[in-house]
Amino acid sequence: MRRLLLAVSAALLFLGAWPAADKPAKPADMAPPELGTVLAPLPPGPGKALAQKDCLRCHSSDILRQQRLTEKQWTAVIDKMVRWGAEVPEAQKAALIAYLVRHFGPENDRFVPVVTRPASRR
Amino acid sequence: MAVVDRRAFISSVTAIPWAASAAFAAASSPRRLLQLNGYPINAETPLDALTSYLTPNELFFIRHHWNPTIPDPARWSLTVDGDVAKPLQLTLADLKRLPRTTVTCVLQCAGNGRALHRPRVPGLQWRHGAVGNARWTGVPVKALLDQAGLKASASHLHTFGSDQPPGKVPPFHRSLELDKALQDAIVAFEMNDEPLPALHGVPARLVVPGWAGDHWMKWLVRLSARPQPQKGFYMDVAYRWPDSPGEPGVVLPPEQMHPLTALSVKSNITEAPSRARVGVPVTIRGFAFSGAPDVAKVEVSDGGGTWAEARLEPEHDPYAWRLWSYGWKPRAAGRATLHARATDSGGSVQPKEAVWNQSGYLYNAWPSVEIEVTA
Repeated sequence: MRRLLLAVSAALLFLGAWPAADKPAKPADMAPPELGTVLAPLPPGPGKALAQKDCLRCHSSDILRQQRLTEKQWTAVIDKMVRWGAEVPEAQKAALIAYLVRHFGPENDRFVPVVTRPASRR
Repeated sequence: MAVVDRRAFISSVTAIPWAASAAFAAASSPRRLLQLNGYPINAETPLDALTSYLTPNELFFIRHHWNPTIPDPARWSLTVDGDVAKPLQLTLADLKRLPRTTVTCVLQCAGNGRALHRPRVPGLQWRHGAVGNARWTGVPVKALLDQAGLKASASHLHTFGSDQPPGKVPPFHRSLELDKALQDAIVAFEMNDEPLPALHGVPARLVVPGWAGDHWMKWLVRLSARPQPQKGFYMDVAYRWPDSPGEPGVVLPPEQMHPLTALSVKSNITEAPSRARVGVPVTIRGFAFSGAPDVAKVEVSDGGGTWAEARLEPEHDPYAWRLWSYGWKPRAAGRATLHARATDSGGSVQPKEAVWNQSGYLYNAWPSVEIEVTA
């Protein structure tokens, strides 16, 4: 029976009939994404391009988005990252820090961890 | 009942907004990990999935500093060198031919609970789930060093993994005191009776019972006995604990700190109802552990004034966690706040407030849960 249900679900998925546009699946019915497959964008605004270029080469945006740091703390973080090889031109450093403080300062409460399926046998 | 209650419970125990979100509540399903970073992957276990003595491999938290270079077990070897008479180079088959041992113990990331420290500190914002309890099988470090002919001049064990950092990021090279390594560290190739999963350090990692996860080198490729500790960022700056903790928010220079080693005594609450009725008992459950190495007792308090002992489940091993349960009978209607605290075999008591430190390590304040009691 379970195999039959799986086969029917697969067929419906193949036909694009599920979830139907007028009947969105309930969140509980949708399998969460696999670990490591969801990468959230950075919020728009001045400095986003700098953050994308300078930060996302080594880690996804999540590590930025979950911080709640003061300007002093962000400055220390950026100085450390520059020492570690991040290519942040001196002339752009203030704009990058301003972007990070604006979006991921002490009042930032928007971060939500992504609920994921465990990675398959890795 | 349990699912609804657990979801409500997750919302009720947390003070920070993102934890109360729908996405977080959905994590109460048992086969879920909470991803804190897409790459390199960092993910914690939902608290309400940490209810068994052994944490399943697929639910075990994952911590990476950067995208790892994962060795091919067929071509992997472990070098044992330094102050030894006869350096060794062992394949996985060689390692598995040696007498093995199994230990069950807690692995906790040093930064577990970092998100709960105030003032806030930078880094991965772990909450409760960068911890798990597993059976680790491998070869004692002592057996390897005995075979290599350890010299008396050595007092530290330098450890190296295969992963390489990006850019100019310092390598994650570490060391630990040789006394501890000889006492009970093992080079583990199995986790919960399965080959070590790739994200947990295939084919072998160091297991250091009772010590924080920064000592548990993954993708281990070299052990080197030396007279001095390892140098570098991950020894001299990171993973250090204040010699004398100052006021919260005060950042100390590295020389006023020392390498962090043993885990602090800690309990957490994994199951509790969000609602109860006066006079009708309900059950609160959780786990507790310490680097002491054992848990002597866990207590629960309604309000934090008086405490009553919880029941410890019989299953236990040194440095492993102890599951506990407590039957609480509400006496009055209203919102009740229950706290838990553990006491370890060394007499240390879990504190009401954790020791603030600039890297957010070893958060271990009392866990709390709120229950709405009706007449």
